[in-house]
Amino acid sequence: MELPKRVVHHIEALLTGAKYLVAKPRMTVMYPEEAQILPEGYRGMPKFNREKCRSCSLCARICPANAIKMYTVEVEGEKKKKYPGINYNRCIFCGFCVDICPAGALEFTDIHDYASYSLEDLVFKPDRFAEGPPPRPFKPKLVKPMLDEEVGLKYVPG
Amino acid sequence: MSERTIELYIGPQHPGSGHMRFDITLDGDIIVKAEPSIGYVHRSVEKIAETKTYIQIAPLVERPSLADTVNPNLGYILALEKLLGIEAPPRAQYLRTLAAEANRIHSHFYGIGILGIMLGSSTAFMWAFADREIMIELLQMLTGARITYSYVIPGGVRRDLPVGFKEAAEKALRYLERRLKDYEKLFFENPVTVARLKGVGVLKKEDAIALGIVGPNLRASGVHYDVRRIEPYAAYDDLDFEVVVKKEGDSYARLMARVEEIKQSMRIIRQVLEKIPDGPILHEKYYKMIPPKTRKQIEETGRLKFPAAFATLKPPKGEALSRVEGARGEFLYYVVSDGSPRPYRFRMVSPSFRNVWLFAHLLPGHRLADIPAIYGSIDYFPPCADR
Repeated sequence: MELPKRVVHHIEALLTGAKYLVAKPRMTVMYPEEAQILPEGYRGMPKFNREKCRSCSLCARICPANAIKMYTVEVEGEKKKKYPGINYNRCIFCGFCVDICPAGALEFTDIHDYASYSLEDLVFKPDRFAEGPPPRPFKPKLVKPMLDEEVGLKYVPG
Repeated sequence: MSERTIELYIGPQHPGSGHMRFDITLDGDIIVKAEPSIGYVHRSVEKIAETKTYIQIAPLVERPSLADTVNPNLGYILALEKLLGIEAPPRAQYLRTLAAEANRIHSHFYGIGILGIMLGSSTAFMWAFADREIMIELLQMLTGARITYSYVIPGGVRRDLPVGFKEAAEKALRYLERRLKDYEKLFFENPVTVARLKGVGVLKKEDAIALGIVGPNLRASGVHYDVRRIEPYAAYDDLDFEVVVKKEGDSYARLMARVEEIKQSMRIIRQVLEKIPDGPILHEKYYKMIPPKTRKQIEETGRLKFPAAFATLKPPKGEALSRVEGARGEFLYYVVSDGSPRPYRFRMVSPSFRNVWLFAHLLPGHRLADIPAIYGSIDYFPPCADR
């Protein structure tokens, strides 16, 4: 009596696999040609706003990875000021710096992918930190992930 | 060592998940002795923690355990809150539970996927890793990150429920419910899976207790033990869920215990979303420290800004112990404060470290080809054990 049940289970397994062989769409984003639209508040590479900065160094103090360092910068007509710079070799994207900034001088961007040819290039001093993360070299097709009852995740062109 | 046996080293690179080695003594293809050789990915989390300020440890403790990140984070914060003498408000407790359970689901899918690929079922691996993405996407909506959320902070959580979360979560849960039925046909009841797992690596109840095994592996051996029930933390006291216990104790029972736990976690998530109370997400003491203008911004966006005091948290002298039920088992934290901004002693016991001895216990007597089946069923994760 053992055998027929096993045969049934074998067939069921094969049929289930076959069903999904033709089912569409599948959960794949053809990165980097396609990229996800990220939700609001996504913790990407932070961007620095020099005007708002109060030079309090809280971001550098809370950084768990010592990625943020304060640089002394000469400002025209004023005394020397301290501004943060970030080292993406070390950054762990916890977002503590943005959350603790009392002046709102740091904010999240939705960019998290940046490649460079040298390690030095990943150290962003205040000037470059203020410019924000470098734009992507080409524009990917953006898709928005939508949770779906039928297929789980749908990527809708957006 | 007799002349009959040979020694075989499996790892540290092997077809399963890497970075650990087994020193195995074989007689023919029967394993006589197995010794797990750990430490390949030791990163000294405990010592690093002693050089960091209290808030900086939160992202650190979730790094060792890839799939299961909210639970270690939560465990540490519970210990810290005991030191600080505060407790998170009810809404934050519910949000912690929500994140922990969503994380448990994606960690269990990860485990099932790894077991699948170890048994040679690529489909199960692909499916589980794809369906894990559903929960990752949900948690990304909530926390803003994919895996390492650092979501739980002293006194509360970092973000409130975003708009449309409830609807999205309901859709995700309905999808997973339906999908689990397909998993049953394709993988769980597949005669190949059953043949590879049933009766393989049986862990007796007494042995499980004597060896100090934790998590689903313990419960699959018939021990009714779950920290969420025994020492309820977060919102687990108010929620209705079953502790999944299996009698058999074999690899198949360990797999099915995880599957049942996924169902229980989905039940918990539904309850949380239904019962979640209104209110603040950060303890009053810290919320008061935030300037009124920023407070207004927090209420609008639902995303918390930290008070400056977080950068230099100084708990009073003392020690605290906390336990949480992670996806792989119990996390234990012991933190000693000497009143300075850094802990004097930091101890973290991870579930994989307590489960690793299962290899030495379960493998002898089995054939060499059973190693992947037993390994996969334990859901052992070397970085989690090595810390």
